[in-house]
Amino acid sequence: MGNSLKRNRVLVWRETRAAYLFLLPALIFFLGFVIVPMFLCLFYSFFNYTMNDFSFVGLQNYVEMFGDPIFQKALVNTVIIVVVAVPTVTVFSLWVASAIYKMNAFSRAFYRCVFYLPVVTGTVAVSVVWKWMFNKYTGLFNYVLNGIGVIDEQINWLGDERTALACIILILFTTSIGQPIVLYVAALGNVDTTLVEASEVDGATKLQTFWKIKWPSIMPTTLYILIITTINSFQCYALIQLLTSGGPNHATDTIMYYIYYQAFKLNRYGYGNAMGIFLAVVIAIFSLIQFKVTNNGKND
Amino acid sequence: MKKLIALLLTGTMVFSMTACGSKDEPATAPAEEQSGETAETESGAAEDAASGDAAAADITLWTYPVGSFGDAATVDGFVAAFNEKYPDIHVTVEYLDYTSGDDQVTAAIEAGTTPDIVLEGPERLVSNWGAKGKMVSLEDLWDEEALADISATSEAVVAACKAPDGNYYEYPFVMTTHTMAINYELFEAADALQYINEDRTWTTENFEKALQALVDYGQTNTGVVYCGGQGGDQGTRALAMNLYSAQFTNAEHTEWTMNSEAGVKGLQQLKDWADAGLLAFDAGIQAADELQLFANGTLAMTFCWNASNQAQYASQTAFTPYAVAFPSDDAVPELAGGIWGFGIFDNGDADKIAAAKTFIEFICDDEVQGLESVKATGFFPVRSSFGNPYEGTEDEERMATFGSFQQWLGDYYNVTLGWAEQRTEWWNLLQRVEQTSDVQAEADLYAETCNAATAAASN
Repeated sequence: MGNSLKRNRVLVWRETRAAYLFLLPALIFFLGFVIVPMFLCLFYSFFNYTMNDFSFVGLQNYVEMFGDPIFQKALVNTVIIVVVAVPTVTVFSLWVASAIYKMNAFSRAFYRCVFYLPVVTGTVAVSVVWKWMFNKYTGLFNYVLNGIGVIDEQINWLGDERTALACIILILFTTSIGQPIVLYVAALGNVDTTLVEASEVDGATKLQTFWKIKWPSIMPTTLYILIITTINSFQCYALIQLLTSGGPNHATDTIMYYIYYQAFKLNRYGYGNAMGIFLAVVIAIFSLIQFKVTNNGKND
Repeated sequence: MKKLIALLLTGTMVFSMTACGSKDEPATAPAEEQSGETAETESGAAEDAASGDAAAADITLWTYPVGSFGDAATVDGFVAAFNEKYPDIHVTVEYLDYTSGDDQVTAAIEAGTTPDIVLEGPERLVSNWGAKGKMVSLEDLWDEEALADISATSEAVVAACKAPDGNYYEYPFVMTTHTMAINYELFEAADALQYINEDRTWTTENFEKALQALVDYGQTNTGVVYCGGQGGDQGTRALAMNLYSAQFTNAEHTEWTMNSEAGVKGLQQLKDWADAGLLAFDAGIQAADELQLFANGTLAMTFCWNASNQAQYASQTAFTPYAVAFPSDDAVPELAGGIWGFGIFDNGDADKIAAAKTFIEFICDDEVQGLESVKATGFFPVRSSFGNPYEGTEDEERMATFGSFQQWLGDYYNVTLGWAEQRTEWWNLLQRVEQTSDVQAEADLYAETCNAATAAASN
């Protein structure tokens, strides 16, 4: 009995050894670039780690963080971005995907390309174009709105506290919808047509068919989209760096940008790490809520 | 058999990746252990440099885009000239920009992969990296001859390159004064040229009259106090402090003083002009954007100008960019300066440090190369013995104009500790000044934050 068990284990090991070895390079990278830095981040967050100091301060960085008014402002801005961007991206993507997934292959591919283009275009290039469109003096938006008589004076889109964050969310929206649309088109295309036809034969309306058949079927995709959009929104940094530097008057500061500012501009690596840990915890909590709300992505 | 091949392939992949990731450790002792040896080698390096018999070494140079030092063809030419004289020293050059360059250096410092030489100014080399113990003292390059020669041009340059600990962390070779510029034809058409003195200075009162004349002429986009980031902030600092002759820091460079009566008066004046529609604040742009708006004729003036910009934008403008000093209540401006030179990161390798010093001496002090280096920046030599390197060239007239501004070169307060924090606080202050009804309170908040940063950096 014992020998048989041992022989089985040897056989299983022989079968899986190659698989593990093939996974090894990826595992090394994952450990080296994700797991180890995560623990280092946690470790350094308890230190006053600067360019010329490395001393243990316990929870001091965390205490300072919660009392830092700029961090609080950045946190509020980040939550606004997430709360606005995630539902709008998800709903809009689903709407577009619903409209195009039944089209012929050429039209479907065309729309997928159109919506995916901002994703594959570099962030810097996208930002430069948007910056030009938002320009107060020579920008497209002011030119058009002036031309049709909607405004009578130039709006400083990125330089006004009232509009800057909305502009960032708009750009984030356009660069975030590409992948969800492609995923939803694929998911909707894979919904069991026999169920849809059966419901239609039973007299279900289009809305009922969507909510009772299609929506549960694409729930795993929805969960994935919710989570990646949430993470992307929480990590909004490049747009801020390229367009507003967190201004005006911290109106577009986000936690990610503030981490960058503290770590790279002021060389306060320990403090930046503490904020990074906090951000990771917040993202985890949001993701957990999404898992619960979407019933772990199950379609039953 | 398949499994065996798979195993072999996997093993090869892992091994090759490990091999790619490995790095030869430099065969050098820790910096502390080498201090005595380094001192010897450093003095030896100076002699080697003089004799042209420098030790062989591979060194790296990171250069910010100071004039043509951001241009690979130019710098490659300089390296080739260096190698004709010192064939055993191999120089690898990497080019930084002002957007991400500091981040690259910060990352390199933490990763222990800093270059041997870096080209920039005292605010980075001396008061940031030098003050944090990352740079090598360049005491031996600052010999009596160099000290006398550079002091003859400006004592402020010497002071800027020297850290509070008494060490020189920068060996400079060029300097300039930052000015503003106007659209000459537009000012002429608006009859606003009358407010500018012959020596290109003007009073605050006349500056206001000029703004009014431009607006009356129909030019609503006169000038913009750009405050969307720190890029080109020397212009807005010079503008605000000159209006009522404020000082940006105290003389000892230990305290930020723009919350003084004169400083607040200047900031309030900017706000009043903005409220009256004579000028504008813009938190959506930085200096580069403002320069572009000036170059394409949208704005009547720029607050971010110098000799290098004049050369760069000359071909882009359909008008005459006319450099002028910043307006001040007494028409005696105090202009912000720019000083650029080389620093050496302490990588603990005495041979590389010696080779780096040899390279720096060649680029800065060599009879022929020194002048070429200066001309490549489009600025002025810090060495008085170099005279006017632009004499007899097509740049002579332009450079003579900018040379005339040197007499108003002000205090180089950029070396004040906490400089990085101050830069961010400054453009945030301007953003708040636009909105606030209490400029004094905002200036006090700015000074308090900056002084706290300076105090923290001093400890």
